[in-house]
Amino acid sequence: MTRVSSARSQPTLRYERGTLLLHPAPAGQGWAEHAQWDDRVGRFRVPAHRYRALLEAVRRDGAELRDEARDFQELKLSPSRFVTPYPHQTEAIDAWKRAGRRGLVVLPTGAGKTLVAQLALDATPRSCLVVVPTLDLMHQWYAGFLATYPDAPLGLLGGGSKDDTPLLVATYDSAAIHAERLGNRYGLVVFDEVHHLGGDFNRVIAEYSIAPYRLGLTATPPQGARLRDLQGLVGPLVYRRTPEELAGTALASYREVRITVQLSAAERARYDAAIATRNAFLRRSGINLGNLEGWRTFVMRSGTPEGRAAMLAHREARSLAFGTEGKLRVLEELLAQHPEERVLVFTDDNATVYRVSREFLLPALTHQTPVKERVALLDAFRKGDYRVLVTSRVLNEGVDVPEASVAIVLSGTGVEREHTQRLGRILRRAEGKQAVLYEVVAEDTTEEGVARRRRGQEPASPVPYLDEITPDPIDWEDL
Amino acid sequence: MLPTELLMYRYRAETVVPKRLALNFAHVGLARELIEVFSGGVGLRRAELDERVAAHEGSAAGYRVVRGLAHLLASDFSTFEMRSPVPPTELRARVFGLASRLAGRASRAAVLTRVAAQLGEEGLALRPEEVESNLYADLQENFVLSEFTPPTPEELLHRWNLAQVQGVLYRAYALRVHAHRNDPARYKQLLKYMKLFGLMVVVDGDADHGFTLTLDGPASLFRPSTRYGLAMAKFLPALLHVTKWSLEAELRPRRDLEGAPESATFTLDSDCGLVSHYKVDAEFDSIVEEAFAARWAKLRTDWKLEREVDLVPVTGGVIVPDFRLVHPDGRSTLLEIVGYWRPEYLRKKFRGVRTSGRTDLILAVSDRLNLDAAGVKLTDLPEGVRVVTYKGRLEPRAVLAVLEGEEGGAAEAAAS
Repeated sequence: MTRVSSARSQPTLRYERGTLLLHPAPAGQGWAEHAQWDDRVGRFRVPAHRYRALLEAVRRDGAELRDEARDFQELKLSPSRFVTPYPHQTEAIDAWKRAGRRGLVVLPTGAGKTLVAQLALDATPRSCLVVVPTLDLMHQWYAGFLATYPDAPLGLLGGGSKDDTPLLVATYDSAAIHAERLGNRYGLVVFDEVHHLGGDFNRVIAEYSIAPYRLGLTATPPQGARLRDLQGLVGPLVYRRTPEELAGTALASYREVRITVQLSAAERARYDAAIATRNAFLRRSGINLGNLEGWRTFVMRSGTPEGRAAMLAHREARSLAFGTEGKLRVLEELLAQHPEERVLVFTDDNATVYRVSREFLLPALTHQTPVKERVALLDAFRKGDYRVLVTSRVLNEGVDVPEASVAIVLSGTGVEREHTQRLGRILRRAEGKQAVLYEVVAEDTTEEGVARRRRGQEPASPVPYLDEITPDPIDWEDL
Repeated sequence: MLPTELLMYRYRAETVVPKRLALNFAHVGLARELIEVFSGGVGLRRAELDERVAAHEGSAAGYRVVRGLAHLLASDFSTFEMRSPVPPTELRARVFGLASRLAGRASRAAVLTRVAAQLGEEGLALRPEEVESNLYADLQENFVLSEFTPPTPEELLHRWNLAQVQGVLYRAYALRVHAHRNDPARYKQLLKYMKLFGLMVVVDGDADHGFTLTLDGPASLFRPSTRYGLAMAKFLPALLHVTKWSLEAELRPRRDLEGAPESATFTLDSDCGLVSHYKVDAEFDSIVEEAFAARWAKLRTDWKLEREVDLVPVTGGVIVPDFRLVHPDGRSTLLEIVGYWRPEYLRKKFRGVRTSGRTDLILAVSDRLNLDAAGVKLTDLPEGVRVVTYKGRLEPRAVLAVLEGEEGGAAEAAAS
C-alpha cells in the first residue's frame, strides 16, 4: 500500500473566507505569534488583518513563504483633473505615508477629506476599496471618482449594485456582508467616516481584509478604548486638525438665519389634539418623556392598542411640526429671494424630500436615486441647468457641491444641531461668495423644545498616540 | 425570515423564548385576512398595500405580529414590479427641466400640462395628473404587486413561527447539535446544508451514545463571532428534517435592548413542532440502501446491519457511511456503498478515507465506476480498509464473506 507522499511541500499562505491558512509552517519563529492551530482543518490559521505583520515577520526571519493569499492588483490611476490641495491635505497624506500608509486622519467636515483619499490613491497604485456609511455618500464618491479618473475600472457595491472592480466604492453594510469575498482583493482600503467601523457588524471589513494599506477618515473620532480599537484595525492616528485651526482657510464662513413659522389654525388644532392624546396616555402610564428611560418605556408600551394610538398621535404631531405647510410657504419665498443662486434644500426624511420634489417640481436626491441620474443631477446642478436640489439630511456626511451658496434646512431640530452646522460647512469657501444657511423650524412645538437643548461645542483636544508611531525597521513594500 | 425589528421574544433568566403563535381560531383568522389583503391587492402599489395591512394592526395579536405576517407574505409569496408608461427617470428629466425654466410653485400645473402635451405629441396619452403620479414610479413604495401565490393560513403561521426561531439565531455565535439514531441519509443532507451555508463542523461522539456537532465558521477560531448567526438561521429548516436531535445555541444579545442579559442561550429539539419549508432532498433518498438492508435481513448471520453509523471526521469535513455491521461478540465495521458518482466525488471520498485513519471500513464499489478515469486507485487506501467490487446489485453474501475474512474469494464470487 502506498501512503500519501510525506515529502514536505513548500510553506504556503492561502486566503480562506476572511482568514489565512498557513501550511506547512515556514521556517523561523516570527510567524508563530500571529498564527493559531485550527484542529478543524489541521492547519495553522492567521487573522486576515495580520497579513502584513505576518509577512514582515517571515521576511525578518529570512524564511520562504509562497503567498497565494494576495489577490489584489496593481492599479495605476491617472487623475484627469488636478485640484491643488490645501496645506493640511498635503500634510495629512505625508503623515500617513510616513506611518507606513496606515492610519487615521481627523479633519472637520468640509475640509476636503475626499481629496485626501484621492491623494492616497494616487500615491498607492493598488486596487482600492472605499467604504462609506450611506448610499448617498457611496454615489457621491462614485461621481467624484468618475470625474477624476474617467478611465478607471470603477464600480459600486450596495444599493442594488454589485460590481467587481479594482476600484470599488461600497457601503459599510454591503462591504460587511461581502467581507469574506472582498478580503484579499484590495491592497488599499479607505474607510470614510471611519468611526462607523468599530461596531460588531462592520469591523469584519477590516478584520477579514489583508490590505496592507489602510486609511481612515473622520471628523468625529471616538475616544479612549474605542479609538484604540480603531487604531488596531486601521492604524495610528497620524493627523488631526480642528475646525478652529482651519477656520478662514478651507472652511466657508456663512451667515445663519433662523426662521420660525407658525402652524395654520387647522394644523394647530390637529397638532394640539394629537399632543393631548399622547400626553393623556403618558400621564395614565406614568411615563416621563424628559429622559431616555421614559422614551424607551413609551416605545415598549406602543405594542398595546392604547400605546399604539398614543405613538401614532406622537408621530402625527411630529410630522405636523416637521412638514408643515407653513414651512413650504417659507421655502417658496426663500427660493424667490435667491433667484440666481444655487440652492440646496435639506429635509428631515425622504418622505419630505419627495413631497417637496412633487409640489415644487424640483429634482430630488436620495439614496434611492439611480446612479446615472444622480451623476446627471449633480452635473446639471454644477453647470446651473438645475438651480435647486432637494435632498434628505442624511447627506450631512459631506455632500460635495461647492457651487451651492444657499442652504435651506427644513425641520432642523436642536438635537441634531451638530448636523446643521455640518450642513453649513457644505457651503464651501469660494472667492467672493457670501453663503447663507436658513434653518426653518415650526414655532411652539416639541421641536422648539428640543432646539433649546443645544449641545455645546466639543473642546479641541490634543492629538494623542502620535508618539506611538514608530518607523518600521523593514520596509513593507517599496511603492 | 424576518428583519430584527419584527422579532418577538423575551428572556427567561438567560434563556431566550421566541414568541409562538398557536394555530387557533383567532390567529388563523388573522392570517386569512392578511392573505386576502394580498390576494385582493394584486395591481396595487406597495404603499397602498401597506396601508391596507396597517388597517389590521389594531388586531389583538399586536401590530408587530401583523407586520411580520405581512412581511413574509411580501417577501416569500409576492412579486413586485415597477410599472410606468414612461421611464420615470426620463419623465423627471422632462418635468424638472421645464420647471427650472419657469418660476415658482405657481407654474406647477402649467409644467405638468405641457409635459403631458409633449408626450401626447409623441404618441403617449397621459393626463397631467398621471405625469405627476408616475414621477416616482421607480421608488420601492410605488412598485406594484404583480403576482401573489397565496399560502394557506396555517402555512403562513408556521412560516412566522419558524422565522421567529431563526431570528433568535441571528445573534448566535456557537451552535451545538446533538443527534442520535438517525438515518444516514438525513446526516448527509444535514452536512450538505452546513456546507452550503458556509458553516464548519466538528463531530464528537459515537453511534452508541449519539453525536455532538459543533457549528461555527472560519474566523470563530480567533473570537466568538455572531457573523455566522445568519447561516445558522438558514440552516435550521434543514435540521428540522432530521428525525432525532436537540440543539443549544450560545447567543450574544443586542446591547441596545433593555433587560437583555450579557449572554444567553437558546435550546430546541426535534419535538418543537416547527415546520420546515425546505424540500427533503431527493439526492439523499435511501432506496439503494433500503433494498440492501432488506436483502441482508433474509441472510442467516449473527452480523447485524445497523442504520445508525459512526460519523467519521476527516480533515475539513465528515464522512457518513451507509451502515454499521455489529457482531454480538463486540466486533463492528462500517460499510460504505459507492454507487454512481462523479469523478470528483470519488476522488474526495478516497481522499477522505485515507485521511480519516479509520481501517474498520468496507468499501463496496460498483464495477461500473471508472476508477482509473477518476484518478483513484484501490491500492491508495489505508491498510485494513477492505474493498468489495460488485456488478449490478450488491449481494449481502459478498460483504459477509469479506467480514469473515474470505477477502479474495468474496470479491471473485461477487464478480462471477
